[in-house]
Amino acid sequence: MTKKRKLRWLSRAVSFFRNVTGRQKDELDIAAEVSAHLDLLIEEKLRSGMKPDEAERAARIELGGVEQVKEQVRDARAGAWLDTLVRDCRFALRMSRKNPGFTAVVVLTLALGIAANTTVLSWISATLLNPIPGVAHTSDLVTVMRGDRTDHPTPPFSYLDLRDLSERTQTFSGLLGYHDDYMSLTGVAKPERIYGALTTASYFDVLGVHPILGRAFLPEEGTPPARAAVVVIGYAVWQNHFAGDPQIVGKTIQINRHPYTVIGVAPRDFTGCAPGLRAELWIPLSMDRDVWGANRPARRGTFWLNVLGKLRPGVTKNQAQAELNLFMRGIAERFPEDHRDSPNEISLDPLWRSPFGINGYLYKVLPMLLGLAGVLLLLACANVAGLLLVRSVGRRREIAIRLGMGASRQQIIRQFLIESLLLGLLGGTAAIVITRWTSHSLVAFFPPSNLPLTNDAHIDQRVLFVTIAVSILAAIISGVLPALRSSSLPVQSVLKEEATSVSLTLHKGRLLSGLVVAQISLSLVLLVCAGLFTRSLRKAQQSDPGFEASHLLLASYELSPAGYTRATGVAFNQQVLDRLSALPGVESVTLADFSPLSFSIHTDYLQIEGYVPQPHESMEISRALVGPHYFRTLRTSVISGREFTEADSPESQLVAVVNQAFVDRYLPGEDPIGKQVTDWGDRFTIVGVARNAKYRLLTYPAEPVIYFSSYQVYSPTDDTTIHLRTTGDPRAIAPSVEETIHHLNPELPLFNVNPLSVTMQLGTLFGRVAATFAGSFGLLAMLLAAVGIYGVVAYSTRQRTREIGIRMALGAEQGGIYRLILGQGFRLTLAGLVVGTALAVAFARLLKAQLFGVSETDAITFASVGLLLAVVALLACHIPARRATRVDPMVALRHE
Amino acid sequence: MTREQTNLLQGTLDLLILRTLRLGEMHGLGISRRIEQITQGTFSVKTGSLFPALRRMQEEGWIKSAWGESEANRKAKYYRLTKAGRKQLETETAKWERIVLGISRTLEAS
Repeated sequence: MTKKRKLRWLSRAVSFFRNVTGRQKDELDIAAEVSAHLDLLIEEKLRSGMKPDEAERAARIELGGVEQVKEQVRDARAGAWLDTLVRDCRFALRMSRKNPGFTAVVVLTLALGIAANTTVLSWISATLLNPIPGVAHTSDLVTVMRGDRTDHPTPPFSYLDLRDLSERTQTFSGLLGYHDDYMSLTGVAKPERIYGALTTASYFDVLGVHPILGRAFLPEEGTPPARAAVVVIGYAVWQNHFAGDPQIVGKTIQINRHPYTVIGVAPRDFTGCAPGLRAELWIPLSMDRDVWGANRPARRGTFWLNVLGKLRPGVTKNQAQAELNLFMRGIAERFPEDHRDSPNEISLDPLWRSPFGINGYLYKVLPMLLGLAGVLLLLACANVAGLLLVRSVGRRREIAIRLGMGASRQQIIRQFLIESLLLGLLGGTAAIVITRWTSHSLVAFFPPSNLPLTNDAHIDQRVLFVTIAVSILAAIISGVLPALRSSSLPVQSVLKEEATSVSLTLHKGRLLSGLVVAQISLSLVLLVCAGLFTRSLRKAQQSDPGFEASHLLLASYELSPAGYTRATGVAFNQQVLDRLSALPGVESVTLADFSPLSFSIHTDYLQIEGYVPQPHESMEISRALVGPHYFRTLRTSVISGREFTEADSPESQLVAVVNQAFVDRYLPGEDPIGKQVTDWGDRFTIVGVARNAKYRLLTYPAEPVIYFSSYQVYSPTDDTTIHLRTTGDPRAIAPSVEETIHHLNPELPLFNVNPLSVTMQLGTLFGRVAATFAGSFGLLAMLLAAVGIYGVVAYSTRQRTREIGIRMALGAEQGGIYRLILGQGFRLTLAGLVVGTALAVAFARLLKAQLFGVSETDAITFASVGLLLAVVALLACHIPARRATRVDPMVALRHE
Repeated sequence: MTREQTNLLQGTLDLLILRTLRLGEMHGLGISRRIEQITQGTFSVKTGSLFPALRRMQEEGWIKSAWGESEANRKAKYYRLTKAGRKQLETETAKWERIVLGISRTLEAS
């Protein structure tokens, strides 16, 4: 049976090939056979005694039409579908060339709708779906998090905890730990600050990344207390600083003024495993002591490593989580001192929503934008469907003739769908061209920052594939209604109609109106979302952050890579402040180990006198190291007590300032002044309470913050950021600041010299992305809806020219005609607004979590968007209505 | 003839043509007349059905065609069964007999 089937298949395939290639010969053969058959028939009739002309007539009647028979044979042969397809495509191409204006409008509309989707998709593809560039398969990789998931997590593991987990786990084939940090590449022509990572030896193996030159770390190189001064450098570092030297492996380079042997070069794409952050140097974490003098690997209570794990095949996330939880509880019981202040519950996350790096934010924003883009595409489809429907009315005679000539309904539907497919694919191609440009626009939202943000969104295979699929889908959605409608024409009556008197049947009119209502309502949805996001962003930008951002210049430097110790570092900072405050145009100046709204504030685990934490309550609290006069410089008022001064020195009593939220949360109803707080075994006395200020995101409620004096506490691993309040434009003073620092230490690079008002844009990054794109989708939607309603009203007005002429001949006034046409548009708009409001209420509920200071049913947004849309729609109807009033009854009635 | 009927009767037409050609090679009109004659006019094969069927069966590899001369020295295309065609005839015949048997049993039973 199978053999037979194979043979039949082969036979059909050979015929198919012959039919496609030997087209002309085959045609002649069919023609010859049919005419031979006719001859035989005639002869037969003659033999039965008919006269020659009679015989021929009878024979032709029996044959039933030479061309029809030929066509039926053609349809029977293998590959007939290919013929019809080619024919339909040719016809579709001819139709689109004949009507270039129509084609352009449809293609552009579809292109914009598709491009909105592919743009967002290119971002999703580059971030959520490709979280670690250079690592193709990340589905079995998970981030390991200790404690509850937050939007601003800190590294959750100490080296010793991670080592114990790695040794015992059966569910992971490997765990890796890393600590991202800036490093200075020194001893080269132009020293550069490069983001890198201190990693476990397992780092490259777990990720499955193989250096293109040399090797990755050996297990013994990454295991404290052994220290191996080796480094794997990134491709860009290799190219930019060492000119792609093929002999680089084995050479010595300097990092933070220490010599390291290059053992490998990472592949070109690979930039570390924190999504959205670009790392380019990797050294074993055992080197921490040499470089930062911190020796963090030796301390079990120092949580500084981010951890990724590779699940063994067949192991589920839950099994792995249960296993790690078990081990972690054991560790916490053995070392209660180190784990008391923080929760020890383990949670695993796939990388697309990894809490570390940019995906932790993007995974909420991007799918939402994709949803909005989807609505825009639907609207574009409704728009195109309307256009196609209107055009199909103009093609009624053509279709009727085809049906009359024996075309089947399927053939007509196929023809229409192929035409819209062609338009869809043209639209998709145009969308790719648009996306090539727009896919890079996400990067444009990144302000200058101390974070090495990176985004490489582009049109990859996935995006290309989806674009094609979406184009086809859009073509079918917009083409199917006109196709179904047109193929069910009452042939007789259409053919009897005069070409010029073709009018909308009631049914088609209703369908068209439905499409217009759909467009208005969908654009209302998009405009409402745009309005909500924009208002939310405005609210955030206008909200009081608790400090004054204008007239503030920031500039950062890093002390420990430059060779400073605790003593020399503090002294240097003092010098910097002295010199800068003497500059003309400087009102006041201070230092901090972070800057507001740029994701740079640190946290510590605190013990607070008089506060008993709940079981497993995280005492991880935002901690800022600030210089004297920080609050005066930032204009954050101190409510009670005092702020830091130059008198707070390492020798004097250790002091702290807390904010109002800290007091409300941990010391409610008490006088906080004089209370003790313990951090890292040091006891600090609270001497002041400051107003709340927002340091992470403007849209978050103010959280507890504790401030220490940078004259008393020295953190070797952090940047120092100068905050300078100026009387004039902060940019103007930047050169003299750089000069001053250069004068103090010519080898200390100063980086990210920018006004605070610029760098704090990072704090509204996602709000701006959402508002900008929802806004442009909304405007685009409004434009499409306006064009849509204009098209339909203008069209139906033209169809009613005769009716209008009669009305005017019978004495109707111009105002009446105007109101008649405008009323038609108004009814459609009103219906659209009602449906749209219902949809928008449902849709906006999904955005609730992303909004700040605006309710998702914000009346102002709904009302103003509705009004705007109504005005635009009526303006669009105004043009055809005006035209209708100018109809000359005599001309209109002679129109036939 | 509507599409549904064609589908139903296609197999039957194939069977009739194969059976007719078992006697020897024949041209299109010959096949059509022969079927009319044998079925005593129950089946009259229209040209529009005959030629597409012949075409399809050729592509399936059941029959072969060659140009030849008719009795009255007219050019005509002659069809004959292939080996695969003979096999197909057996299969189709067996199938047909099963159907007929099944249907008549059903009719008798009620």
